[in-house]
Amino acid sequence: MTAILLGLFSGIAFGFVIQRVGATDANKMALAHLMREPEIPQFMLLAVTFSAIGLFGLQAVGVGRTMVLPTSIVATGLAAVIFGIGWGLSGYCPGTCWAAAGEGRMDAIFALLGGLAGAAAFAQLHEVLIPALYMPTSQGPITLGDWFGSYWLGLVVLVAALCGAVWLIGKLWGRESA
Amino acid sequence: MKKENPSPYWKVLPAAIALAGIIVFIFASYGPPASSSGFVTFLKGVLSPLVPDYVATKQHYAMLPGPGSWLMAFVIGMAIGGFIAGRTFSVPVCDVPQLWEKRFGKSRVKRFAATFAGGFLILFGARLAGGCTLGLFISGSTQLAISGLYFGIIIFAVSMLTARLVYGKTGKGES
Repeated sequence: MTAILLGLFSGIAFGFVIQRVGATDANKMALAHLMREPEIPQFMLLAVTFSAIGLFGLQAVGVGRTMVLPTSIVATGLAAVIFGIGWGLSGYCPGTCWAAAGEGRMDAIFALLGGLAGAAAFAQLHEVLIPALYMPTSQGPITLGDWFGSYWLGLVVLVAALCGAVWLIGKLWGRESA
Repeated sequence: MKKENPSPYWKVLPAAIALAGIIVFIFASYGPPASSSGFVTFLKGVLSPLVPDYVATKQHYAMLPGPGSWLMAFVIGMAIGGFIAGRTFSVPVCDVPQLWEKRFGKSRVKRFAATFAGGFLILFGARLAGGCTLGLFISGSTQLAISGLYFGIIIFAVSMLTARLVYGKTGKGES
């Protein structure tokens, strides 16, 4: 029961914030993808930056649970291509479509229904696709910490790269709405 | 063209800090946040009473909890959060985004078919990778996972390319 209440509370807060920044608006998402509005990608990357620093703090005091997913060169890469086509086409991702549906956007409700169909289709094919595509090129749950020798150094590299990307987006993206 | 009235949207920096606070809270109170798993959890809840034997034999349903779980509560919460935020916001929602309408017309059927197809692809991809924008890119990168960063770079690149193919130069420089 506690888990359900925590999930609900976390979801409500998350849904509220992403709506307020415009991430549930497929029009703003399209403008972000078209490099005409920088706010949403900057928001996403900065959220990761602060979360990574916050999680480092949590781990320092031994609180919380982490789970690093493996990197499969073929499956993760191919999945990302499929995902990117769907995201660019619809302007929704699996999280934003719930919040956008709650907001009353009919097209998001169809994205949600399509998502249920897509998840069901994958569940049907899991036994075929995971051994064929995922396992052979899986590198295991590798992190930047493994690459750079220490968690601390990995975090510094991540924060620097994300801040650099946020700066670059500010330079390269236009500002149609202000 | 700049408008005089201030934007109703939150500014990037405070919004990112707010979201990061929520994400860190989730790591502390549950674990890595995820939303595409909520779809599987929802399906499991719907299909279990209808076709119990099918659900029991499929690994993808076996690896995730059913509807009485944090994952399900989180996506329902997202919809409630979106509802509350939408009701208290000055910009009205539209079923067909402005840019889409300029490019493909007012047809709701065309737009709904496109988002259904898009929704299918994002969930198929997310389930193959093991997570979505939140469950893999944001959660993963927060934990320094290469999988999250690798997935993130490709989804941004491909979605940007797709958006260019879909919209071209529609409405450029008008708003």
